Amino acid sequence: MNDSMSIPHLIMSASTVVQLVMLILVIGSILSWVVIFQRTFVLRRARRAHQSFEERFWSGVDLNELYRETPSEQETLGAEHVFRAGFREFNRLMAKTKSADAILDGVQRSMRVAWSREEERLTLHLVFLATVASASPYIGLFGTVWGIMGSFQSLSMAQQATLATVAPWIAEALIATAMGLFAAIPAVIFYNRLSSESDRMLGKYEDFAEEFHSILHRNLQGRSEAGAA
Amino acid sequence: MARRQRGSSAPRKNGRVGYGVPVLLAVGLHVLVVVISVVSLPQRQPEPETSSIVQATLVSTETTTDQAQRAEEARARAAARQAEEEARQAEEARQAEEEARQEEEARQAEAEEQARQAEQEQAEREEEARRLQEARQEAEAEAQRRAEEAERQAQLREEQEAERQRQQEAAEEAERQRQLEAQQRAEEEARRQREAEAEAQRQREAEAEAQRQREAEAEAQRQREAEAEAQRQREAEAEAQRQREAEAEAQRQREAEAEAQRQREAEAEAQRQREAEAEAQRQREAEAEAQRQREAEEQRRREEEAQRQREEEARRAAEAASQGLDRAIEGESDSVANAQQGQEAANSFINLVRRAVEQAWVIPPGASNGLSATVQVRLGPSGELFGATITQSSGDSSFDRSAIQAVEAAAPFNELRQLPPMAQRDFRQFNLRFTPGDVR
Repeated sequence: MNDSMSIPHLIMSASTVVQLVMLILVIGSILSWVVIFQRTFVLRRARRAHQSFEERFWSGVDLNELYRETPSEQETLGAEHVFRAGFREFNRLMAKTKSADAILDGVQRSMRVAWSREEERLTLHLVFLATVASASPYIGLFGTVWGIMGSFQSLSMAQQATLATVAPWIAEALIATAMGLFAAIPAVIFYNRLSSESDRMLGKYEDFAEEFHSILHRNLQGRSEAGAA
Repeated sequence: MARRQRGSSAPRKNGRVGYGVPVLLAVGLHVLVVVISVVSLPQRQPEPETSSIVQATLVSTETTTDQAQRAEEARARAAARQAEEEARQAEEARQAEEEARQEEEARQAEAEEQARQAEQEQAEREEEARRLQEARQEAEAEAQRRAEEAERQAQLREEQEAERQRQQEAAEEAERQRQLEAQQRAEEEARRQREAEAEAQRQREAEAEAQRQREAEAEAQRQREAEAEAQRQREAEAEAQRQREAEAEAQRQREAEAEAQRQREAEAEAQRQREAEAEAQRQREAEAEAQRQREAEEQRRREEEAQRQREEEARRAAEAASQGLDRAIEGESDSVANAQQGQEAANSFINLVRRAVEQAWVIPPGASNGLSATVQVRLGPSGELFGATITQSSGDSSFDRSAIQAVEAAAPFNELRQLPPMAQRDFRQFNLRFTPGDVR
């Protein structure tokens, strides 16, 4: 009794389809947890980087100096990336045109591209988490239904149906559902948490982009007024 | 992907996060979950399995039963001796009409007194040896064969079974006599007179050496002549005696069995004994039946009185319960009355007790199946509980306590009064073993 009803024993004695379902669920669970950990680290790091960059940006440093200090564009992350893309475009357009509107349009477009890349980076694999969260209960349910089908098929061949003959089958079938829920519940929780966090980060980037845009706009206005005068 | 590789190849403070550590963490988490489930489940599983059926089994009634029987025998023996002494004092002067038969009875009565019996047996053995020699010298084939048989059997019986057999039978006979006394006073008187005559004869023989010599000679003569003659005489007497009394018949038959049964036909003897036993059994059954009816009526009357005071629903429920109990007791006492052996009565009483104790037993949670406790129960004459003590502990104090509480809750065992008096004494003290079995 004790031995035959233990969870490893039940898993080992399950039918092939149920075992396959269990394997899929275990893999899904492991991968979802990999994503959870990786995203958590990424977001925490992005938050810190954004914090330190904003401190530096608002510390009154010269923008040209800041631009020179930051590494090349491919290496930068988050708001720094947005700043670099926008400032580079600003410098390039300043040399070519006098029109403030054209410069600001170019800068805004460039920053939007950078922001979009950041969004893609932050929400990477979160869709997989959502898939696991929504699909694994159904996969587990499929395994349970399949296992109970098998149990009833074998029950039809038994002489007398006692609880003792049905119980192991149902138990091992229900393990599939349990594993589906085991994979889905953390995936749901962390998908919600991570997606809201990344949304928040992206909102901060957007705010920064707007602020940087207003700074550049102020600069251009002052320059055009000085040129006019 | 390419970005991630580059990030890991050039690690910086703001570098991209690799997948190595998350994979390790995720796998470690799953392994931890599996280990916890495997390790903790075996510890958790024994708990739901404790829902189990109670199995209380009674053990070792034999020891107490044996003691009670021995005490019973001793009591019966003492009573028989006292009765015979009384009879002897009263009827000392009377003479016996049949010398040989009285001699046999006298020897049998002597057998009940150990010191005298040994002496008498020695004398008998000597006499029989002498008789055997004489028979051989006379060279009568049939008589010789019977004499040899008699000697062999007498020696066997006297040397091997000797005291134990005769005392036991004497005790049983005395017990039966006392029962018959209540109903058949006249026959009992007559029997006592005859026994007293036998005693007188024995005393005279002890006092007068010549008298005993003559008796021995008469006995030898009788043996020598033919056993068939004695048998014919005894059968004629048995016919008259059986009509007079059942007890004296059994007495004479037992005596014949001790002395001359092998010489006579074994079938006639067995038949007579069976008849006597059946007679006694019938009387005992009638007695038990009357007792049982009286008990049942009294119980019913008491139940009704108590029920009138209760509320209507409670009254009905109690009535149903008591009716069930009455039925159980009636069936119980019926089976007891019909039981030829005390063991059957014992088993049915044991079953009743066991059922009551099982119903009253609340197994403590967490008790495993392997536990076993033995409780010694002492009962009063009417079935009330005198004491319950643990004789063999299970090691679990709460388990032991639950066993004792079960016995206390199940007491009193009023069914004890329904048992025959001999069986009652046997069940004043018995052991109960408590073992929780499981459902399967």
